[in-house]
Amino acid sequence: MTRKQPQLYVDIRRRFPHLTLAIQLQVGAEILVLFGPSGAGKTQTLQAIAGLMTPDEGQIILDQTIFFQRRPGLPSINLPPRRRRVGYVFQHYALFPHMTALENVAFPTGNDAQGRRHAYELLERMNLAHLAHRKPHELSGGQQQRVAIARALATESPILLLDEAFSALDQPVRDQLHADLRTLQAERGLVVIYVTHNLDDAFAVGQRIAILREGQIEQIGTLDAVCRFPANTRVARMLGLSNMIKGQVVAVELNRLWLDWNGVRIEATCPSPAPTVGSQVTAFVRSEEIRLVYPDRPLTRFVDHNLLSGRIVERRPGRRLYHVWVEVGTTMIEIAHPYTAYTGLDTSIGQVVQIGFRPESVVIIPEAGRLITTQQPVAQPISEYRR
Amino acid sequence: MNWSAFWLSLQVAAVATVCIMSIGLPLALWLARTNFPGQTILETILMLPLILPPSVVGYYLLLALGRGSPLVEWFHIRLLFSWPAAVVAAVVVGLPLMIQSSRAALANVDPRLEQAARTLGAGELRILMQITLPLARRGIIAGIVLGAARALGEFGATLMVTGNIPGRTQTLPIAIYDAVQAQRYQDANLMVLVMTAIAFVGLWWVRRLERSPEAVTPLSEVLQNDQEATAIVR
Repeated sequence: MTRKQPQLYVDIRRRFPHLTLAIQLQVGAEILVLFGPSGAGKTQTLQAIAGLMTPDEGQIILDQTIFFQRRPGLPSINLPPRRRRVGYVFQHYALFPHMTALENVAFPTGNDAQGRRHAYELLERMNLAHLAHRKPHELSGGQQQRVAIARALATESPILLLDEAFSALDQPVRDQLHADLRTLQAERGLVVIYVTHNLDDAFAVGQRIAILREGQIEQIGTLDAVCRFPANTRVARMLGLSNMIKGQVVAVELNRLWLDWNGVRIEATCPSPAPTVGSQVTAFVRSEEIRLVYPDRPLTRFVDHNLLSGRIVERRPGRRLYHVWVEVGTTMIEIAHPYTAYTGLDTSIGQVVQIGFRPESVVIIPEAGRLITTQQPVAQPISEYRR
Repeated sequence: MNWSAFWLSLQVAAVATVCIMSIGLPLALWLARTNFPGQTILETILMLPLILPPSVVGYYLLLALGRGSPLVEWFHIRLLFSWPAAVVAAVVVGLPLMIQSSRAALANVDPRLEQAARTLGAGELRILMQITLPLARRGIIAGIVLGAARALGEFGATLMVTGNIPGRTQTLPIAIYDAVQAQRYQDANLMVLVMTAIAFVGLWWVRRLERSPEAVTPLSEVLQNDQEATAIVR
């Protein structure tokens, strides 16, 4: 198969009573996670791509095919869902309950011999061939969702949309499906858009992430870039970054920057563009990057900067890490450390401890504005298209 | 046992059932799918024959089919006091049951299944034939059975529009009334038994349809919260 890399371009606006959706996306053969709270417009974006919802204006284009176009000066186009035929996987599977798994998968391929053979191959690919003749209610949730994915693939569309597809499933099943999804994407060069409000899911499956809030994209970029350089405090909070510090820039030097935080000097790496000296900035330090300091041992390079003193006020075991809250001045700093760390240190509540973190751990966020760190080029005008 | 009345009743009920099906199903589909101003009023009017005294329905039918009605004046179709008038009466009283049952079943079909079918390349007719109707089939069949049973048992309105002409317009319920009036109780007993048996079998079948295991939505599906999935906006 020598199909060139598919490209999906989405630029839509739609006003709802409680939400104005304004989304611009360019997705290639990759897994893009649409992440955001309920009601942010994630589902509506998928519905617009599939043709189940009509935007007020904009364009949706897959390669040379215009799915939707409503722009002044351009011909209006709105392909019905059945002519877009994008793979769409719903949260509650939406399998046809009166058909077997095989009949479900054969629905888009046609129920003739060839269609059924193709459907069977897809079930085989999803490791479900032995369940081909079961009805959906005789399958587990994970199996049902595999059938649903096979059925979506049967449309032969380069696009696969997943709408909270795995959120009703148990964690081990979900992990397996995430792995399968990544393999499928790479194998078939699919444009995958994965909608979730679960941060763990986003990290488990995504290559790039678009963070949606109130119908708009706050930030889009690789997971790494978005975590390292959140566009604003809202994004940082949605990404689960804790330990917010508000301070004033007192000095900038090459790639170093110093903040004054309530009289304490904090050293950080300088973001680009550099904030001006005297400006107010917000900074985050990930809880797992803050260390406790052994008073009787020499300082390691992890803690020879940004040494602060505070009192332990709370400690709790977490799912993966142990959490300790330290009150520094009036601010609560959360520290997460491995279960086996600090066994030689008294971390009981009320203890006064020293904490430290590296300048590289401090994430500086511009005070205002919506920074979109997209590496994708802006869409080129499309001169030729077919309807 | 009045066999001519029995066969006439079957004939009326059969024709009426076909009419109930072919009028009721599209109407139920339309009512389940659209929202328009005055919908509640239209639905109320369609349901009225369930509640109104049969004599009132019969009187309206007399007006609709009798002299001075458009049917007679413009099309010269005279139905009164013939068996087709009994069909009309049976359809009017049977239709509400058909509409109510099949409308509820059609509205119960998860719109997400139809959305899914659309994204899978199906046109609206294919979705109707392969998804919507098969999934609503129990309710539709129940509606047809109830409508047919009601059509078979129609008495009051039929009496008013067909009269009571033995061998020509006398249906089984009217024949029973006639037999009781004439104190032919043995005749009446047998016909009452036949009617009861037919009604029982019909209702029993409907109950079975409703209670069969496949008709029940799996509890897990009901319990799972819907969240955004319900926010299907057109």
